[in-house]
Amino acid sequence: MDPKMTEVTQMFARFKAAYARNDLDACVTLLSQLKVHLTKFPSLPPSFQQTPNAVEELKLARDIYEHAVVLSVKLEDQDAFERDFCQLKPYYMDTCGIIPPSAEEYPILGLNLLRLLVQNRIAEFHTELELLPVKALEHPCIKHAVELEQSFMEGAYNRVLSARQAVPHETYVYFMDLLAKTVRDEIAGCSEKGYDSLSVSDAKQMLMFSSDQDLHEYITEEHPEWEITNGAVFFQKAKESQPCKEIPSLQLINQTLSYARELERIV
Amino acid sequence: MAAAAVMVSSAGSLLAMLQEPAPELKLHALASLNSLVHAFWHEISTSVSSIESLYEDEEFVQRQLAALVASKVFFYLGELNDALSYALGAGPLFDVSDDSDYAQTLLAKALDEYAAIQSRSTGEEKTMDPRLEAIVERMLDKCILDGKYQQAMGMSVECRRLDKLEGAISRCDNLHGALSYCINLSHQYVSHREYRLEILQCLVKIYQTLPDPDYLSICQCLMFLGEPESVASILDKLISGSKDDALLSYQTAFDLAENENQAFLLNVRNHLDALSSHTSAHVDPDSGPAVPSNQTNAATEPSGDVQMRDDINMPNGSATTVDPNAATHADRLTKIKGILSGETSIQLTLQFLYSHNRSDLQILKTIKQAVEMRNSVCHSATIWSNAIMHAGTTVDTFLRENLEWLGRATNWAKFSATAGLGVIHRGHLQQGRALMAPYLPQNGAGGSGSPYSEGGALYALGLIHANHGEGIKDFLRESLRNATSEVVQHGACLGLGLAALGTSDEEICEDIKNILFTDSAVAGEAAGIGMGLLMVGTASEKATEMLAYAHDTQHEKIIRGLSLGIALTVYGREEEADTLIEQMTRDQDPILRYGGMYALALAYRGTANNKAIHQLLHFAVSDVSDDVRRTAVLALGFVLYNEPEQTPRIVSLLSESYNPHVRYGAALAVGISCAGTGLSEAISLLEPLTSDVVDFVRQGALIAMAMVMIQTNESYDSRVGAFRRQLEKIILDKHEDTMSKMGAILASGIIDAGGRNVTIKLKSRSKHDRLTAVVGLAVFTQFWYWYPLTYFISLAFSPTALIGLNSDLKVPKFEFLSNAKPSLFDYPKPVTQQTATASVKVPAAILSTYAKSKSRAKKEAESKAKEKAEDSSNASTSMQVDGAAAEKKAPEPEPTFQILTNPARVVPAQEKFIKFLEDSRYKPVKAAPSGFVLLQDLKPTEAEELALTDAPSTAATTNAPASSASEPSAMAVDDEPQPPPAFEYTE
Repeated sequence: MDPKMTEVTQMFARFKAAYARNDLDACVTLLSQLKVHLTKFPSLPPSFQQTPNAVEELKLARDIYEHAVVLSVKLEDQDAFERDFCQLKPYYMDTCGIIPPSAEEYPILGLNLLRLLVQNRIAEFHTELELLPVKALEHPCIKHAVELEQSFMEGAYNRVLSARQAVPHETYVYFMDLLAKTVRDEIAGCSEKGYDSLSVSDAKQMLMFSSDQDLHEYITEEHPEWEITNGAVFFQKAKESQPCKEIPSLQLINQTLSYARELERIV
Repeated sequence: MAAAAVMVSSAGSLLAMLQEPAPELKLHALASLNSLVHAFWHEISTSVSSIESLYEDEEFVQRQLAALVASKVFFYLGELNDALSYALGAGPLFDVSDDSDYAQTLLAKALDEYAAIQSRSTGEEKTMDPRLEAIVERMLDKCILDGKYQQAMGMSVECRRLDKLEGAISRCDNLHGALSYCINLSHQYVSHREYRLEILQCLVKIYQTLPDPDYLSICQCLMFLGEPESVASILDKLISGSKDDALLSYQTAFDLAENENQAFLLNVRNHLDALSSHTSAHVDPDSGPAVPSNQTNAATEPSGDVQMRDDINMPNGSATTVDPNAATHADRLTKIKGILSGETSIQLTLQFLYSHNRSDLQILKTIKQAVEMRNSVCHSATIWSNAIMHAGTTVDTFLRENLEWLGRATNWAKFSATAGLGVIHRGHLQQGRALMAPYLPQNGAGGSGSPYSEGGALYALGLIHANHGEGIKDFLRESLRNATSEVVQHGACLGLGLAALGTSDEEICEDIKNILFTDSAVAGEAAGIGMGLLMVGTASEKATEMLAYAHDTQHEKIIRGLSLGIALTVYGREEEADTLIEQMTRDQDPILRYGGMYALALAYRGTANNKAIHQLLHFAVSDVSDDVRRTAVLALGFVLYNEPEQTPRIVSLLSESYNPHVRYGAALAVGISCAGTGLSEAISLLEPLTSDVVDFVRQGALIAMAMVMIQTNESYDSRVGAFRRQLEKIILDKHEDTMSKMGAILASGIIDAGGRNVTIKLKSRSKHDRLTAVVGLAVFTQFWYWYPLTYFISLAFSPTALIGLNSDLKVPKFEFLSNAKPSLFDYPKPVTQQTATASVKVPAAILSTYAKSKSRAKKEAESKAKEKAEDSSNASTSMQVDGAAAEKKAPEPEPTFQILTNPARVVPAQEKFIKFLEDSRYKPVKAAPSGFVLLQDLKPTEAEELALTDAPSTAATTNAPASSASEPSAMAVDDEPQPPPAFEYTE
């Protein structure tokens, strides 16, 4: 076996051991070294050179990135998740026919969908969905994400929140927690449009806060423009709806006159 | 396995990798992106900012790679400026020799940028990015290395890198080709005058280092640079050389003389004198000092010559004997001086025009009969028309046959009539004064003739000697000083201006200025123009003085004369004239703004300078004065005459303007810039204008059309025939407006100008502007205000001839080929027999099946047998209208070529068909299809047969006394004018 290959395999084994130990710091350092080593393999995307041990290399690289994604979830680092997932994606999309599909493929894709949902990037969510084959939609991980999105869109937020109990994969828990926050933001946005003001207790219930304290904190952090007076939350809608702008009549008259003058001059 | 087809479907993974903290990963991602950017630029473009930040990160090792990727992305986005600035950041990674679209586009962009910065004038900020410079230099070097010399030359000219230009030329294997390419380049594409001069200087420098220089081109360059000394020394070297060298020197001199730069030629002549007196000073006193000068020449001299010289020198020892070499030198010197003074060419032209005169008196007769007796405008127009028709031919038959009719011209019409003689005898330098003698003011005994004919005669003298006034200057000055009548002063000012064109003679200037300060309207106008003529193209300080006086005086005529004069002084100065133009175009007085338009026209004549065109178009649509607008459009014609194809396109909108003045200007602009080209687009544009609703627009369009169609005939463009018929119709029509009638009369003169042997040419064959011609046309357009100025058009005439000359400057018998149907370029058919039936004939020319069947039926009725015979013989031509036409057109097919005999008429459109015969006795020094061509005699021992030598010249000389003898009788008639009908200022 290629010495480089052996080295990487060994290092990856150490990474897995550290992961099993839950030694996350060691995992991160090992992972970045692994990534650097991977750049030396010519058979990996984007070059896809045909080397004798291309299949092995691809499999190994895919495995490494899959672990990287899972690690990032564990670290609760969304940026790293996105990075690693993007780098993993070519192994799913472009290598069919070279290496057999991975068992982790759909859980990770589902995870990504969930992340997009959490970040409220609905357009990208659907783009990703379109890229999947029809039969992938049957997979529980994907299905879970799709159903969540539907509930989310319908406004059936209670269904979204209750879905946390039925996660198809242990890694999903992190994102499901985050989803609650996203739902709250959605609700806040809707109420802002829908009401001029709400009583504090109604607002508390609607935004699913257990105490007035939490509500106050949320408002000062996320929506400082809201006002709380006399036990009610005012959404300050009046501020936005200014009367429509003045018609720049003088300017228009001037322009028209100058056009007329120019027209007269024209040849 | 379809692994070969495997490609990533997105650059997302690489972009994600860019975000990785490890620099190795970033580097890897960048390198991969660089190779994939052509496919995924759209994806990368969204995160190009991260690549940019990598480039700006000082710590990052491969900043240049980042810059390259960013540059490529911007290129695909169409943001060429950003792409270029990042490509510059990429430094050596940006591959100049790459063939990709990206590299090519950015290189072009870099060049543009570089050229734009380089060509900024000194006043502006001029900071050059050294990296940009490096790229351009790399590219130029590469072009030179690859042998793409023309590209390299073009680029270095554009980028103002004369050092590189020099490098490219000197590496080139075809040096002469490269140099002439560069000269062309500098004239066509370099719009900045000073820079053009720099290029030419550089070219001359290279030329001079060559072992076998192309003297024709050098001298052209030097003339443009205004270095008479160098030209003189080259000519001196050539005439001291072999016979072939002498021929070359004559050819050079002819080419120089053709550009009509009088001041320059005069300087060359003076320097030549100085040089030869210098050498002869060496030769004469003793043979000792003569030897070194001889040795310098020895290289170019054939050895036989040197020996002969030695043979003679040795035994004699003293140089008092006539040295044959010195004698030939002296002989050649006089010849070359003759050529440079223009006298030789003028004389030959005169002979040619006289001997080939084909003007059609019948046309004039028709006009004369059609014109109403009392209509003085049309009467004068007929006289002008006659003068133009016979310009330079010395044929004044029409005038002599119609003395009584001529006598009806009174006052200013008489002035014009007399001046017309000057046009007819244009170039008759020797006899000019004798010819005009009867009309000239008599010294002392003033008042013998009418002041109008005296003034006209002085003007005529100016026209005869235009631009060659050495001999007549003093006489004109004398007349100017003695003149008391403002009419005579008027004529004298114009005459002096013409004769001393462009010499900026101080004394003459003072004399004319004195006239100007008398503040007489008539004389002052001429004085203004005269001063301008005197100082054409000198950009002299006097212009400001003239401007100041124009502000002082009350007379509009004087202001107009002065503003035209000021415009003339900045002739050809391009950017140098900008301040003055600015001053004039901003003036309150519309007449001065009008002059400003002329200044723009003349300063940027034939440059197609974008800025000038822009300014003129602006004035054409925005000025409040109709005169200014008209002139602005008209001036476009002058600016664009080097690209006649452009003009119809540019003025086509203006020609549909609601303002008749603008339409008039558009017509004349086309007439001026397309003069003599017969350009189809120009004719199409003018055609509707000839039937405009406004009379003076018709006038302008007719004149312009004649200018465009000059020297083209009906078989070249059928519309020429239609136009001639239209002219005749307008002239014969009783109800036509006077203005358009006058236009038609003038147009018939112009279209047949100079005995049908001249064309209007604003550019010489070497692509220089012909100063006299441009000035002539500019003043000609003033006929709007002052009819006598019509005659200035004669300055623009140039003979359409090929005149071959041998080493004695004689015209030998010599034949060459015109590779086209003779009818295509033939003289128009004389109208003589047509006139009576003209009106009948026109409808007969209409082809129609009706006419055909009718004529057939008629014929059948007449004689069946005859018809049958004809039918069988003319089976192929039975398409023709009637028998007569069929017989005319039926003859055997026309030959496709024609043998022409020296000197021959060669119209401009014909030039490309001219071929010199291989086996001819004479070989042209320069293979020019027209103009004066020196012929090398390959069989010098045989006797030469001469054509056009003595016979016409004696005819011309005998003609002169004859005409002058007959003139007094004309004078007698003139002397007693009938009681004037209502006095009419022809303004």
